[in-house]
Amino acid sequence: MPDIQFMNRIKILNAIGLLARLAAGGMFVYAGVIKLLAPAEEFAYAIETYKVAGPALSLWTAYLLPWLELYAGLALAAGIFTRFNAVLCGGQLLFFEALLAQAWLRGLPVTSCGCFGSGSSNSLEYEFFQNLVFLALTFAAYRYGRGFSADAALEEHA
Amino acid sequence: MINVKTARLAFLGGILVFVSTIAILLARQFSLGPVRPAPGFRTFGPADAPIMIEEYSDFACGACRAAAGKLEEMIRVYGDVIRLQLKHYPLVNIHHWSLDAAAYADCAGEQGKYKEYAALLFENQAKWGEAKEKPKEFEAFAGGLKLDWKEMQACSAAPETRQRIKLEMAEGDMKNLNSTPTFFVNGKRAVGPMQLMEQARKFDSILKAAHSRHVPPSGI
Repeated sequence: MPDIQFMNRIKILNAIGLLARLAAGGMFVYAGVIKLLAPAEEFAYAIETYKVAGPALSLWTAYLLPWLELYAGLALAAGIFTRFNAVLCGGQLLFFEALLAQAWLRGLPVTSCGCFGSGSSNSLEYEFFQNLVFLALTFAAYRYGRGFSADAALEEHA
Repeated sequence: MINVKTARLAFLGGILVFVSTIAILLARQFSLGPVRPAPGFRTFGPADAPIMIEEYSDFACGACRAAAGKLEEMIRVYGDVIRLQLKHYPLVNIHHWSLDAAAYADCAGEQGKYKEYAALLFENQAKWGEAKEKPKEFEAFAGGLKLDWKEMQACSAAPETRQRIKLEMAEGDMKNLNSTPTFFVNGKRAVGPMQLMEQARKFDSILKAAHSRHVPPSGI
């Protein structure tokens, strides 16, 4: 007979994983959509203010990154290749953290971080710590995100 | 070899990618993105006006000049029920000095004289529009309006000024603009002054509908 306490623990972890997947994936979908519905140049200008890429590279990044955010976010939320997409989202977050940290340390006048489009933005410090929360959610999605996922559903039917 | 489960997941992922891409492209087509407001000196009328007009214009285009007159007349007739936002869409491929003209107009706006400077640009289109070298008219207009020319030059060259105009051009590109002037009257597209006048015919019914929304039904 299975240990009831153990089963309950699994259920709780699955629920945590599901919530983490929906929160982190949803955030990526939102960030992607808001950028995709605005001119790419707007996001490109935000990237330029970090002073790590020139105008041409910034523009290409602005064209491509929002699609990556959208697709990875959707797949993570739905639980399709959960671990791969959790790593992809986590990798993006680490990259954003590095950008924010260098701008923060260099004291660059970044007025819009570009995180959720360039309409409004919080301070670099705020965005840095906010990303840490999302990073923790992505980790939880990686670790416990198999519950209620497309991955698990297809495994059961295999 | 790819197993069945991986293939099914890849298929599911493909469907998600396909559907989300179509949804984004459709949303772009219907201009569902966030609207970037024009600066204050290019915005006229109350924020809660029932008729919202957004115009993408080029100072060197003849039809834009004609449209400017029509718009002025429209505002004179309808008054506070219209909110007008002017946006720059210089056709830089055919009008060499349009972008500069837009920048100078904005800088005149920073000094409180956008309307006056824009009117001079439209009136004298023929003089500066086809110039081979940088037109002297830009400075002459500023002098005539007693604007600080040095400040205008610095402002016109500032990256923020250029960036604002280029973002409006990019916004126009996203809305698939291919000629000026293009208007969006309560979101509905009108290309050229004639189509704008056609839309203006519906203003009375828009106003009636807006009025009936705000007046509570009488009697219980």
